[in-house]
Amino acid sequence: MILSKFNRFAWLGSCALLLGSTLAHAQNESVLLKRVAELREAPGESSRSLAALAARTPVTRSGARQGAWIQVRTAEGASGWVHMFDVASASTAAAPSAGANALRGLSSFFNKGSAQGGTTTATSTVGIRGLGAEDLARSQPNMAAVAQADTLRLDADQARQFASGAALASRSVDPLPAPAPVQTTSPANNHNN
Amino acid sequence: MNTPHTRVRTAWLLALAGILACAPARSQDAGKAINLLGSFLRQAAPAEAPAQPQPASAGGALGNMLGASLAPAGGGQASRGADLIGLLSQSLEQIDEPKEIEIGRQLAAVLLGSKPLHPDMALQRYVNQLGRWISLQSSRPHLPWTFAVLDDPGFNAFAAPGGYVFVTKGLLDRVADEAELAGILAHEITHVTAKHHLQAIAKTARAGLLTRVIGSQVKGELAGAVSAQFLSLGRDLYSRGLDQGDEYDADRSGVALAARAGFDPYGLVAVLQQLRTATPDNPLFALSLSTHPPAQQRLDLLEQAMGNRLDSFAGQQPITITQRMESLSASRSASAAPASPSPRRAPVKK
Repeated sequence: MILSKFNRFAWLGSCALLLGSTLAHAQNESVLLKRVAELREAPGESSRSLAALAARTPVTRSGARQGAWIQVRTAEGASGWVHMFDVASASTAAAPSAGANALRGLSSFFNKGSAQGGTTTATSTVGIRGLGAEDLARSQPNMAAVAQADTLRLDADQARQFASGAALASRSVDPLPAPAPVQTTSPANNHNN
Repeated sequence: MNTPHTRVRTAWLLALAGILACAPARSQDAGKAINLLGSFLRQAAPAEAPAQPQPASAGGALGNMLGASLAPAGGGQASRGADLIGLLSQSLEQIDEPKEIEIGRQLAAVLLGSKPLHPDMALQRYVNQLGRWISLQSSRPHLPWTFAVLDDPGFNAFAAPGGYVFVTKGLLDRVADEAELAGILAHEITHVTAKHHLQAIAKTARAGLLTRVIGSQVKGELAGAVSAQFLSLGRDLYSRGLDQGDEYDADRSGVALAARAGFDPYGLVAVLQQLRTATPDNPLFALSLSTHPPAQQRLDLLEQAMGNRLDSFAGQQPITITQRMESLSASRSASAAPASPSPRRAPVKK
């Protein structure tokens, strides 16, 4: 009976999903170049350069992304692609050192995040709010819902079937090296427990 | 002449088979619970419980799983949750996989107590397909990985020990493509495989916050099988978040994990770039922003770790969640139809 109720909602849900995904892209977001970079004709380092962009050049994102590359438009109207790591949001790039160097990350690493601890009121513009600390504080544990979630579980074969249908294949990828700041600041007890 | 006899015997056998068929689920749980209880008692007894003997918290999970008849006669029995936390405060090594999963269920119950499952079953299934595939490439592919969409407009994702991963519907609505979702799931999967939540709980337990938690538990009656300690720890954990170092670790390992599963490794980077533009006073992002390090710092650290190492794994054509789900349902209905439709059969099928 629960299932039939779910089915009724399914259609509604997928409509919402459709609507939602059109809102998803980082369209028209203004960003700044963190460093000198080439504006490329197409995604990829080997693609033809359309222009050299100076550090702190403002560009506008079109919302398109392919891998590491995002499509942007310059104030002069030139459109092309830059590497995601070469841009920062206007506010962060405005900070004194525009180069995203390790030191900047290190120095602020010790401060708890600026967003941390601020009790944000839910009276903001959007009108709807997401799951918050208040919801958690009021939470009454729901084991029945956990049991229901357990029924959603799929086995390895079902997952592989999905992957082959989606043309996803596993690849061998080396672990990424931990940057120095993280190693020095996460105390040994993180690994000893 | 032995027909009636045989019939009776057959009926008996059928009934027995019926009972057996229904039984496994229950008896398995019961057996598991007994095992757990046994090992807790064995380990807790000599190990000297860290906190004073507590008033039993209503039998905890045990009473519910076994039914009242099998549960130990309440009284002096410390609750199972208390035992788990006692073990956690001593050493993570005492938490074997079944205990880890039990802890995960208790924490998952807290999350699901604050927001329900989203009713879209096709979406739930898709997230499980995607997540299970990624988890297969993780260091712990055999955990009972369970993925669920919470019916919540906010943008957030959570994990709990033992393989539970939750994403909000608002998050699914806001990711631009499947690679972004894959990056988020891989980040959460890493929290599980690296036992970040267990470490956080253990830290809380060792810091002596446990006694305060126990003090507040006396308030009584709790719905369901979750012990007061886990309710309190879960509320605390999910509203405070994990250590920043654990988040950076999950970012870095998650990116590699997503790439291992065949996804564009820049999916998570793209999510963080989106998150960077969200303001902390946006009520849809408030909790995920307050429980995580600033997005720009996460991006900076990812940039240091990734460089261009993974660029050769990128470059897939992006596919949106909607597109993927459409193609999944198309292939499902294609496989549901007969492989070689005969002209005679077609009209039969209305």
